[in-house]
Amino acid sequence: MFDRDDELVDRVVRQLRQPVSIDPALDDRVMAEIAADPAPRATSRPRFSLRPWPWLAAAAVLGAIIIARPWTRGAENSGSNAFQFVLVAPQASSVALVGDFNDWDPARSPMRTAQGVWATTVPLAPGRYRYAFLVNGVEWRADPGAPDAHDDEFGTPSSVITVGGNGS
Amino acid sequence: MSQPLGIDSVEASDAELVRRVRTGDIGAYSTLVARYRNRLGRYAVHMLGDREDAEEALQDSFVRAYRSLDRCDDPARFGAWLYGILVNRCRTSGARAARRRRMFVRDADALNGATHADQADRVEWSDTVNRALARLAPEYREAFLLKHVEDLEYDAMARLTGAGVSALKMRVKRAREQLQRFLKEAEHV
Repeated sequence: MFDRDDELVDRVVRQLRQPVSIDPALDDRVMAEIAADPAPRATSRPRFSLRPWPWLAAAAVLGAIIIARPWTRGAENSGSNAFQFVLVAPQASSVALVGDFNDWDPARSPMRTAQGVWATTVPLAPGRYRYAFLVNGVEWRADPGAPDAHDDEFGTPSSVITVGGNGS
Repeated sequence: MSQPLGIDSVEASDAELVRRVRTGDIGAYSTLVARYRNRLGRYAVHMLGDREDAEEALQDSFVRAYRSLDRCDDPARFGAWLYGILVNRCRTSGARAARRRRMFVRDADALNGATHADQADRVEWSDTVNRALARLAPEYREAFLLKHVEDLEYDAMARLTGAGVSALKMRVKRAREQLQRFLKEAEHV
């Protein structure tokens, strides 16, 4: 009787130990929620113009989102802060960050991916910069969570970020 | 720019990934999420008995963990720390879920490759197990899953749950007894 009882529980355990597959889309939801409201850290965030966080959440759902965030350390030059740019683009095979800060050269700020989250970091001195994402080498995307750069003379989508306390 | 992001490295250790996240590399966190999604998902699914609730608890746990990453004292044991967050989150979620009808999700992966008759047997057995598990009191179910399914030592369970080792041993024992009784009842239905 005792052996049979133990065998019964062992069967239950074997059943419950079967792997369970959770929808991988959960990863995107987690990262979108994080990106929409980054964790408060010990470091303080300098003022810059990426302001509409609710917009970011909506953009993430659509598969494209960017945030800019300083590192605790990482300023390479006096007067500049390092900003990380993140784009959620699960379908993309390559993404580069291009802007005034790198002469719009895709080779200078390639983004690396993990699970469809593309990221790169650039040091930015105080000032106003236009930028965009170049997806798969051909598709320009503005940052849906940042102001449009209305003065874009190239006729392609682009956004603007203002870094520091005196630029706007 | 000189700081390597390294988020494409799926083999980076937990400690290394936590270090990167702490220095601002959000992308590194997605590697941790992917690494622990299914491992923790199994516990959440069995504990809550509902896949939607489980995914919600899982998502919330990952986000909570990210936002309190500074309190992860031993990044090499990130998984254990995250597990603790999920266990607590499941307690909260479980209290809400208990008020409504429980639904069970059959594990499609476990059924793949089985013959039709085989599948029917497995589905029936899976349902029987899930029903029996659902009848356990939450603290018994929690102790049983942590001990026998997640294979934790009692000391680790005590750290996760805040309960004493003696109490946990008692809960596991009672859970086993009750499961046996519920399964036998099911046999005779």
